[in-house]
Amino acid sequence: MSRLWPWLCAASVALSLLMLAALLTLLLTRGLGHFWPATLESVTLDSGEIIAGEAVRETPLPHRDGEEQLYFTGNRDLDGNRWRWVAIDHIAERGAPRTLVRLERSPWGDFIGYLSAFESASERLEGDAAWHALTAALAHPTRERPSATLVLQSAAGEMLRQPLNEIYRAHRPNAMSWWEKTRYWSQGVWQFLSEGPRAANTGGGVWPAIFGTVLMVMVMSVIVMPFGVLAAIYLNEIAHQGRLTRLVRIGVRNLAGVPSIVYGVFGLGVFVYGIGSSLDAWFFSDSLPSPTFGTGGLLWASLTLALLTLPVVIVATEEGLARIPDAQREGAVALGATRLEMLTRVVLPMAAPAMLTAVILAVARAAGEVAPLMLVGVAKLAPQMPVDDEFPYLHVERKFMHLGYHLFDTAFHGEDMQTAIPLVYATALLLVVIVLVLNLTAIFLRHHLRHQRGQSC
Amino acid sequence: MLAPPHALNAAYLTHFSAEQSCLNIEHFSLAYAGKTALRELTLSVPRHRVTAFIGPSGCGKSTLLRAINRLHDLNESATHSGRIAFEGEDIYADDMHVSELRRRIGMVFQTPNPFPMSIYENVAFGLRLQKRMSKRKRDDIIEWALTSAALWDEVKDRLHKSAWQLSGGQQQRLVIARTLAVQPDILLLDEPASALDPISTLKIEELIRNLKSQLTLILVTHNMQQAARVSDYTAFLHDGKLIEYGPTDQVFTNPHLQRTEDYITGRMI
Amino acid sequence: MTPPSRPTYSALTSSTDPGRQRLDRLATASITVGAFAVLAAILAIGIFLLWESLPLLSLAGTFTLETLSPLAWGTLKAALAAMLLALPIALGAAIYTALYMPPRLRSRVKPVLEMMEAIPGVVVGFIAGLILAPWVERHLASTLVLLVWLPLSTLLAGVLWHSARQSLRKRLPFSWAGLWLTPWLIAMTFIALWATPGVEHVLIGGDLRQWLDQQLGVNYATRNAMIVGMAMGFAVIPSIFALAEDALADVPTSLLEGAQALGATRWQALWKVALPAAGPGIFSAVMIGAGRAVGETMIVLMASGNTAIFSTSPFEGMRSIAAAIAIELPESTPDSSTYHVLIFAALVLFLFTFLVNTLAEVVRLRLRTRLSRMGDRG
Repeated sequence: MSRLWPWLCAASVALSLLMLAALLTLLLTRGLGHFWPATLESVTLDSGEIIAGEAVRETPLPHRDGEEQLYFTGNRDLDGNRWRWVAIDHIAERGAPRTLVRLERSPWGDFIGYLSAFESASERLEGDAAWHALTAALAHPTRERPSATLVLQSAAGEMLRQPLNEIYRAHRPNAMSWWEKTRYWSQGVWQFLSEGPRAANTGGGVWPAIFGTVLMVMVMSVIVMPFGVLAAIYLNEIAHQGRLTRLVRIGVRNLAGVPSIVYGVFGLGVFVYGIGSSLDAWFFSDSLPSPTFGTGGLLWASLTLALLTLPVVIVATEEGLARIPDAQREGAVALGATRLEMLTRVVLPMAAPAMLTAVILAVARAAGEVAPLMLVGVAKLAPQMPVDDEFPYLHVERKFMHLGYHLFDTAFHGEDMQTAIPLVYATALLLVVIVLVLNLTAIFLRHHLRHQRGQSC
Repeated sequence: MLAPPHALNAAYLTHFSAEQSCLNIEHFSLAYAGKTALRELTLSVPRHRVTAFIGPSGCGKSTLLRAINRLHDLNESATHSGRIAFEGEDIYADDMHVSELRRRIGMVFQTPNPFPMSIYENVAFGLRLQKRMSKRKRDDIIEWALTSAALWDEVKDRLHKSAWQLSGGQQQRLVIARTLAVQPDILLLDEPASALDPISTLKIEELIRNLKSQLTLILVTHNMQQAARVSDYTAFLHDGKLIEYGPTDQVFTNPHLQRTEDYITGRMI
Repeated sequence: MTPPSRPTYSALTSSTDPGRQRLDRLATASITVGAFAVLAAILAIGIFLLWESLPLLSLAGTFTLETLSPLAWGTLKAALAAMLLALPIALGAAIYTALYMPPRLRSRVKPVLEMMEAIPGVVVGFIAGLILAPWVERHLASTLVLLVWLPLSTLLAGVLWHSARQSLRKRLPFSWAGLWLTPWLIAMTFIALWATPGVEHVLIGGDLRQWLDQQLGVNYATRNAMIVGMAMGFAVIPSIFALAEDALADVPTSLLEGAQALGATRWQALWKVALPAAGPGIFSAVMIGAGRAVGETMIVLMASGNTAIFSTSPFEGMRSIAAAIAIELPESTPDSSTYHVLIFAALVLFLFTFLVNTLAEVVRLRLRTRLSRMGDRG
């Protein structure tokens, strides 16, 4: 048996790698696959009913043998549903007509069916001409589009009049070439990154959340870096290296292990209820009882996360400082440099990569952190961006959107989870990519740093 | 030599008058990390000469050198008593400007420690700490310093390349040039050749002999031959105490004390 | 070449440039002030939590107890479930990586595994709560079988390998098994998924979940302790792995080689020499992992169903302290008793993790100096 134990250990490594790979593959395929224009099917049932939609998945029937197929049919304005389960053995005929159209619309979500006419003020086009007119109209920016109405027909034959200005994109996936699909896909990815959410987070993009996240980590870095670096310099260069300094160092290191929610509680209690309410009482008393600073907002969130990432910055910077040989310090001092001159001209430039690593690690940690933000300032849908053209341009008291919280909110509080899940996948993928890229950069920098130092010694 | 000023000094402890010496160490003791490293040292260092401190490892020779530059300030709290006077002023006085002191008493360490900058910037480092000077003047001083350190010909075409690309011996001469550039009165050398190959070592030794026309040098070494080759005076330290101090020839060929002879002939390590 | 004119020196006690000295003192002072501001902010966390918990003393003690005890139980249950999954995998992986892997491969695999730690909890929670939980609910029997079958199949792989020809064993060396076992595990997973439903049908005539419900009266919640254990286990594996691996890798090779020279197998050397030597380090790794499991918020929030109940069943949900704070604190008004209770809960979390981490860190530092001394001697 003692020969076999090591196999279990080896399998642990294999299993861990496997789980990580599975998670990343899942996110990659589902997150990116969502934007690919899927084939639309027209399905005739035994009962004679015709439906059109995208086949999503097949599962065994719950109460008898056989399989059933889930279709995304859209058209919620017609029958109140977006999804349809169909038992496979009830299907009489499946086809993929080239003229099936999928429209992305604002209030009711996607439409799947046929385009029968394009009516503008001057003319009424039908058939292929209508489709060409529609794509031509959609090529214009939203504001410059002509006012027109589409006459749509669902697979079941119901007619629908749809104003053009509610439509974002239209495509006929069954008629698209591979190249056209790729282009449509990349447009979809771009829209996801550059547009705001719509239709209760089931469509559109995450741009405000990206912007909010980036803005928050920027404000946070501006706060945390000076203090973190100062503290690290103090601990490593100025403090007497005795028992007390060692204790403080252990304490700081351990703060990194304190749950993030505790920082959130502190932020809510001290920043929001404590400082924020006092600020409101002193400076914004005319707008009370509606709070200005006395509620969660960008500033409080950034401050809370700055506190949370402080240990990360201190530990990483100190590590960099400790790596600099004392000979460099003595060399500078022996030439008549004061401590400040030694620090600014020799030590800090040499520690710059370590400080860069520190800020990257801090940003990576902050970008993925959600729990404290639930207490101190994110919003499901922020009506105003924290940056606009109104003085003072940066509004630190406003609520903001955050990728991680957007993910949580869309996944758990959406009205239509089924429809939103592909977008949640895409958001999760984006978040993981951001955090992993940041971490990889930090690992690379650190490795490079050790390597370089190693050669010189 | 002159008569000793106080009775403590026996014949085997040479002493110099105030005019002859630029550095006077008087009853200096130093302790750190709970251990006494220097005990009641008294010795004076003659101007424009090379003085070597020799002794077995842990005898306190490097500690003494660092004490002259007040480098113990950087480390754990070291306590001292007695006095080290540089040109008559107590370097441990409360109102002493340590950075000024260190500029006038330069130090070169065991392993070359060029800064991660260009060769030019390394030499300019000390100059940039002082009052502004014109670029021409700075260039002149840098050329002079590199020439004095016998490095100018080797690096004049790549002044703006990284100093870390130089060989070990070149790096050490660069460090000497960097120190010379601020024109110190005393140059402390802490085993400057111990990390170098024989040829680089010879170059450094030659450099040391040439430099004494410009300044006073103090050399710590555990290489007997090196001390014999380059120094004018030799002080033998043991266990934090000064044992014998005199002209190098005399210390090496005809030491007063048995202990010194034992050490020099290699019977005591 | 003539030396440049010497600068004229003033007395050493009056600097040529007094501004530099003043600037230096100012900078030292401001660095010190900055550092103490940081320390004050850190201390403020503890002080604030303590201060805001004080009003609880005037409240009836039972209220606090009644609110907190199911939460404390939920926290423990979630952490326990996570550790149950994470400990064997993380420690196994650490032992294999530190002692069996060739150094080059190790320097690649280690950062990849540590990368797992960077994956945000909210992503893991989403996958666990919305993807894994429904899947496990549909394939409960397969999941349970997998938990047993994967280790068994690994042992099978070991037996096969040892009885294989020498040439094959050379081509698939054990030191690379951490990599080439992945396809084997994938294949074994598919076999289990393919075979289980049939066996399930034959043995209990249908779905295990219904059978549990009807025959044993076991209630199955979609989001339950088992799911939380899997998700949070995934999240704490890397922190335990990284520290335990460091501790094992720090054991001087001379010790292991000494034991092997006396005729011990590598596994015996590990068991008798490396594990006792690295024991404190592994202990601190486990502590850090436990601290993380106790404080993790989003995974429990998203994968647990959030029902504040007392239940020991792995198939039922729970609500942890951290999750309760995240949900309830924004909705409670300041100065209400719920607010103070929740802050007290945060204080408990803070103290617990801080103490556990300090203990771990102290033990780790002790071990490090001891091992480096051992290495010097060896």
